[in-house]
Amino acid sequence: MDTSVPSPFVNGETLKMFVGRRVRTVVQVQRNESGVLVVQSTDGHQLTIRGAPGAPEAPHYIEVMGIPDSDQSIRAESWTDFGENFDPVPFNGLCKLASDKYKYLFL
Amino acid sequence: MYGGGGQYDGGGGQYDGNGGAASANNLFGGGGFMPSQTTNTPEGGGGGGGFNKGRGSQTLMPLTVKQLMDASQTNDDKSSFAVNGWEVSTVRLVGRMLNKNERVTDVTFVLDDGTGRIEVNRWENETSDTEEMKLVNDGDYVIVNGGLKGFQGKRHVVAYSVRLVTNYNDITHHFLYCIYVHLDLAKAKRLASQPQANASTSTWNQAPLLNNQSASGNTAGKELTDLVMSVFHDPVLGNMEHGVSVDEVASRLKLSDAVARSTVQHLADIGNLYPTIDDNHFKSALNG
Repeated sequence: MDTSVPSPFVNGETLKMFVGRRVRTVVQVQRNESGVLVVQSTDGHQLTIRGAPGAPEAPHYIEVMGIPDSDQSIRAESWTDFGENFDPVPFNGLCKLASDKYKYLFL
Repeated sequence: MYGGGGQYDGGGGQYDGNGGAASANNLFGGGGFMPSQTTNTPEGGGGGGGFNKGRGSQTLMPLTVKQLMDASQTNDDKSSFAVNGWEVSTVRLVGRMLNKNERVTDVTFVLDDGTGRIEVNRWENETSDTEEMKLVNDGDYVIVNGGLKGFQGKRHVVAYSVRLVTNYNDITHHFLYCIYVHLDLAKAKRLASQPQANASTSTWNQAPLLNNQSASGNTAGKELTDLVMSVFHDPVLGNMEHGVSVDEVASRLKLSDAVARSTVQHLADIGNLYPTIDDNHFKSALNG
């Protein structure tokens, strides 16, 4: 995994700010359509994830690191199973704070 | 859950850092800070000197790697650092482990927390250390506690604890905590530099800092919150099962119901009070 640049935390809303840049996000798996994961971001946007073979089934949360190729899809480089007990609400709050007001602590 | 008590605990009002963990920084005795000789502009009040030390040098501070890299140096030999003007020695980082390299007496790896990368070194003096490091591997999310060190211009962490993340909400919590601590320290610094002749503000005991958190930091607001808190800390009232009601606060302090209610609500919002049986009854979160 070659992450030589910082990868910001994003949610559905802030994803569009980082198209083409490596990001990390936590999403909830909804279904797997022949290799393409359909997931829900922590702020309720539906996204597609390509390139995450072996990802767990719904309703697990996964952290995806990759490069968004549009404001609704990410090409994954790696993923981590965050289990079922992940709380999306504080993560969503973190994404908002980290991309805006407290960006200087993160990027 | 955590072995050391060295947790940054803004809620309890104590920056009581040293939980007896074998921090390598204890060797320095928290030194490397020469108050009158730093070339940096000293803050007014506070502990005197260029950087606020207080008990901060023993505090375990949650940081992002970016904050670590941005930390300024407190003295010429580049061995101690300050974040937000507060001297830091022991830090907590949460991120992914990479390039784990097991050597004879230590283990080195790179920690990538999404804001940057930093080298971490974990000395293995006892079998418990070796056992601990066997549990974590490349790609795992880990919590690292250790001392921040600089050597020849490069920063790295000497870890005394490396644990696997088991509850992934810890990751969210860590970063939110970093933001919270950052804000708290920035506020403390601002308050310390205000010329307040306030007897209860002692720099040794950070607990009164919570009472200073009125919305605009003015002394009138602070006195009001202090008065209200003193009602909740009253030995008789504070021990009542359901706490103290807002009406009781109003009648004791001869305040209008609206003023009492808004002060109590403000104190509840910042975490000094919590509601008990209903929205009218509160207890203090600070005592006991």
